[in-house]
Amino acid sequence: MNIETCEALRIDERGAIEWTQLIEISGLSEGELRELVDDGALVPVAIGASSWSFDAHALPLARAAGRLRRELDLDAHALAVVLRFVARIEELEAELRALRAGVAREP
Amino acid sequence: MKYKDYYAILGVDRGANAEDIKKAYRKLARKYHPDVSKEPNAEEKFKEMAEAYETLKDPEKRAAYDQLGRYVAGQEFQPPPEWGEHFAGAGSFEDIDLADLFAGLTGRRPGARGAAFTSGRNYEAAVRLTFDQAFHGTEIELELSVLEFDDKGNARRVPHRIKVRIPKGVTDGEQMRIPGKGGKGVEGGRDGDLYLDIVVEPHPLYRVSGRDIYIDLPLAPWEAVLGTSVHLPTPAGAVSLKVPAGTRAGQQLRLAGRGVSRPNAPAGNLYAIVQIVVPSVVDERERALYRQLAEASTFNPRAQFEPEAAHEH
Repeated sequence: MNIETCEALRIDERGAIEWTQLIEISGLSEGELRELVDDGALVPVAIGASSWSFDAHALPLARAAGRLRRELDLDAHALAVVLRFVARIEELEAELRALRAGVAREP
Repeated sequence: MKYKDYYAILGVDRGANAEDIKKAYRKLARKYHPDVSKEPNAEEKFKEMAEAYETLKDPEKRAAYDQLGRYVAGQEFQPPPEWGEHFAGAGSFEDIDLADLFAGLTGRRPGARGAAFTSGRNYEAAVRLTFDQAFHGTEIELELSVLEFDDKGNARRVPHRIKVRIPKGVTDGEQMRIPGKGGKGVEGGRDGDLYLDIVVEPHPLYRVSGRDIYIDLPLAPWEAVLGTSVHLPTPAGAVSLKVPAGTRAGQQLRLAGRGVSRPNAPAGNLYAIVQIVVPSVVDERERALYRQLAEASTFNPRAQFEPEAAHEH
């Protein structure tokens, strides 16, 4: 049997993400997503006359937002706060990884 | 189809109101959420309770669930025949589970009254790669179970095997996307995407940070003092590395472009971190040579502890 071969694409290879795509990817309502933008948890790169667009980094964040919203049953404000914490944890983990990588282990 | 007792999973009575159900779920979510829980089987339990809550929090889905009647959890049961028409066309329920049945209540089925075009669901899968697979790129096989609907609106799970090409240079925690490989779109809606959450297993020698790779380079004291040339493994193949005389412990020797490389992006560097290691056992002759060196050397490794040096600062 022939098995189809697919290419896995890097998230950051994707160009601008439109507002409607972000709603679809996150599974959040437009109102919930708008609140995340108002709270600064998601930052549009371009603000058009009728809509916003985002860069590729918004995609994993939007997915995480949808997952947290569903799994923890958070309201929109709590979701924005949790997302900021998640982003901070990811930054700190990256710093920790860099520090650990650059320090020799016990021989 | 196997029955699941959603009320028992959330630990609430059948008569519980929406607020009680929400409270019960939130309490359990705090305890079992896989990101924070240390409970055994937290992920499994959390999935169960999320599925239960997804149905019970929605009044329409809850009413439909209540109509199913009461069975023992795990008991095989057949939804009433009229459910076939109402929820899944006239077909059978054999290939789907209870969660699929209730997911179908959102009007995503073709043929259902009032169904509009709906995009397919996005799926996600965790993919575990070895360090070498991630560094060089690889091809993996994935077995998916895709929820599809036939012309009559019957839902069924279809096993689907695909090969996925992973490009070189992916890193731990990265997400990747395969367009169109999620759930099937309905009534002209586009197919969902498949998201891969990449986990890269740690390597015994290499540590990765961003695009840079670090490796420990143990040297004998005399190699560090006199300088040497060592055979150094790197993910792209071993190289000969010149270690200059007077190399210190902790010093990082850089091999430009030997780090993680990605298509259309500059490669990272590889850093060899020097460790000075000493033999745990020395024979008589070696001991005598070390004594001789100790007597001959004027080197003071603790010059900063001397009183004069302390005053200067």
